[in-house]
Amino acid sequence: MNKFRKLPLQARIIAVYIVTNLLIFVMNICLLAGINKMTLDLGMVYQDNRRLDEISEVLTDVQDSIAGYLSSKATDSLENYYRNSQKLSDMTEDLKDEVTDDLFDRMERNIRNMSREYLSEAEQTIEAKRGRNVEKYRIHYERAEELYGDIKDYIISLNSVRFASNSGEYSGLMRAFKAFEIVSITLIVLVLLGNILIIIRYVKKLFAPLKKLAKCADEVADGNFDTEIPEAGTDDEIGVVIKAFGKMLVSIRQYIKQIRESMEKERHLQEQELMMEAHLKDAQLKYLQAQINPHFLFNTLNAGAQLAMMEGADRTYEYVQTVADFFRYNVKKQESEVELREEVELVDNYIKILNVRFSGDIHYERQVDESCLDVLMPNMILQPIVENAVNHGIRDMLGEGRIVLKVQDEGECVAVSISDNGKGIEPEDIEKILSGNWKKSQDQYDNNGIGMDNVITRLRLFTEKEDAIEIKSEGKNKGCEVIMRLPRAGRRDGGLKCTG
Amino acid sequence: MIFFAILAATIISYIFFKIHVANYDKNPESNVYDKYYVMITDNYKSDFWQAVYKSAFEEAKAENIYLDLMGEKLTNAHTVEELMRMAIASHVDGIIVYANEQTGMTRLINEAEEKGIPVVTLYGDNTHSKRISFVGVGSFDIGRKYGRQVIDIINEKKQKTDGKGKVQISVLVNTEMQDPAQNIIVLAIKETVKQLNAENTDFIINTVPVENQNPYSAEETIRDLFLQDEIPDVMICLNELDTVCAYQAVVDYNRVGDVDILGYSDSDKIISAIDRGVIYSTISIDTTQMGEYCVDALNDFYNFGETSEYYISDIELINRENAAEYSAKESADE
Repeated sequence: MNKFRKLPLQARIIAVYIVTNLLIFVMNICLLAGINKMTLDLGMVYQDNRRLDEISEVLTDVQDSIAGYLSSKATDSLENYYRNSQKLSDMTEDLKDEVTDDLFDRMERNIRNMSREYLSEAEQTIEAKRGRNVEKYRIHYERAEELYGDIKDYIISLNSVRFASNSGEYSGLMRAFKAFEIVSITLIVLVLLGNILIIIRYVKKLFAPLKKLAKCADEVADGNFDTEIPEAGTDDEIGVVIKAFGKMLVSIRQYIKQIRESMEKERHLQEQELMMEAHLKDAQLKYLQAQINPHFLFNTLNAGAQLAMMEGADRTYEYVQTVADFFRYNVKKQESEVELREEVELVDNYIKILNVRFSGDIHYERQVDESCLDVLMPNMILQPIVENAVNHGIRDMLGEGRIVLKVQDEGECVAVSISDNGKGIEPEDIEKILSGNWKKSQDQYDNNGIGMDNVITRLRLFTEKEDAIEIKSEGKNKGCEVIMRLPRAGRRDGGLKCTG
Repeated sequence: MIFFAILAATIISYIFFKIHVANYDKNPESNVYDKYYVMITDNYKSDFWQAVYKSAFEEAKAENIYLDLMGEKLTNAHTVEELMRMAIASHVDGIIVYANEQTGMTRLINEAEEKGIPVVTLYGDNTHSKRISFVGVGSFDIGRKYGRQVIDIINEKKQKTDGKGKVQISVLVNTEMQDPAQNIIVLAIKETVKQLNAENTDFIINTVPVENQNPYSAEETIRDLFLQDEIPDVMICLNELDTVCAYQAVVDYNRVGDVDILGYSDSDKIISAIDRGVIYSTISIDTTQMGEYCVDALNDFYNFGETSEYYISDIELINRENAAEYSAKESADE
């Protein structure tokens, strides 16, 4: 059985096919042999009767040929006589010569002996006829005739008793035939059922692992990688497939585990990094906060200003006072919206400080419509723009740098423009700045950490308009102008929109 | 597993079938015999011959000899002579024949003897032939027994008729066979009656020839007797058939009591008729002994080269007094 299981699938299916067919074949051979034997038996039943009939016929032939010879002395008759008497002799010699309990045997024996006697009488008749001994051949012929009648009678009697017995045998055989039929049908049904069972059993056995595998594969397809892998059981093709599937599943599980682990690790790392950053920022902030104590700063600066006033250094006093105002704005203005006036003042202060730092290189021009200064706007907008204009526009330029701040009434809007006569900006750079794609280089000067993109974004959010800010430049060394349009009604009461 | 189950089922079916078929296929074991004797009678169907045959058959079988009752299995009816001829031609080892005194029979017996087949005549003899032995009954003894019965009947009748009237006694004799045995019986009857007739009653004993040329002539002849003016008072039958025919005629012609039948043989029919008083008495021959004697005679001849010339079987008279006892004994023997 184990050997059978080790066979390849194909060989096993063929084997089952051969076995079932072999069973049918053997059964058929058996049935055929049975039928053959029975037919033969049936054919033999009346053989004895036929044999007796033949003897009877030959006997009649002998008698006829004697009569023929006696009447005409014809050579034909004599030849017939010799031939037939030899035939009769041969046939009767085959008859039984024993006295047994069997009536047929005894009757056959009597027929045999009587036939011998008859043939002897017949021979003597022929001899006497040849010798022309009329008296003698008449006597012998009479005796032969008597014996002929006796033998005939015996044969008929034996035939009839034999026939009766054979008929019994025949019906017995017929019954046996019927029984054989029943046995055959039973056998056929049995073999058929057996074959069906064998096939069902083996096919089930063959495909059971495949079924399990299919179920398992289904589960895997549904995403359950933890399903149990069926046992291979056999070494055939199915076994190989199952084993391969098992290995594959194990590998997939391992890969999934590995990926999960690495993802976990990465996430952990990211988390750590983020936390580090947050902590760092927090620390930096706290540090900065600790350092920049506004009261301390302003007290310090005020003390400086008072000292300068006492010493009569008016310019120093003014400078320190300006710086103090500048920083105060920065520290004080926690609100996100301020009036334009305050922004403009901050720019004034910033320019003043710069001019002290850079010894009055920057020529600052102010064209402000005072009536427009009540307009609200986000804080820390103008100063970074001015800072940009100073740093990128006019710082490294030869000649006098100039910055112009304009505030104009444009009806519903207030236009705030900051222009310089510096290096200017390339049109593509303007595009980049406005779309927020401007990448500042590492060594670039940082203006208080607030970049242009921050300014632009806040301004757009405030005005809810994409074109709230506009940058114009005529080209290289032709200067640059940044124009902002602020809604006049401001934003505090829920926002008028500036169009134009 | 299933495979073996099917195999087992096949084998079981085969065995079942073999057993079933074997019932028809089997030939009974037949014994081979050393010798083959035949018994030839005039009527193999009669109870008497069947009884003799049965006894002889058993006796022969004990010696590993098979005894056939000739003609029993032949389709056509044959005379004793024809059967004798067949037996001789069949080269049997011994013939037991119910013979008669005719020359044809003598010639056949002699022919058999010439061919080395010993012949025993049974019940009827052929004295002039070369038969080795005769097995029969003592005819004179039978005649005496009948005679005594006749006297008894005469005495009974005399009482009824006060001694007047003639008592007519008819003996039915077979015409065909010139059987000396019959003559002896008739003679013995006559002598016995004469001797014992102390009262000098008037009686006539006549013989009635019964034709038995064909199977029905006996019956016709007997019936004719009852149509005559003088119906016999006593009818003595010397064979089984005559007895049965006479009995039937007495019943049919309503002559029970008027005609007394002295029968022959002891078939059930006759015994029951005695029991009912239709038949006065009958002579029973010891058939067993008779059958045994026949086979013994042939065996003696083979074993010792010679045998006793005469074997006489015992006879027994059965009348109303011992009929019941006799039938009880017979059935016990069966």
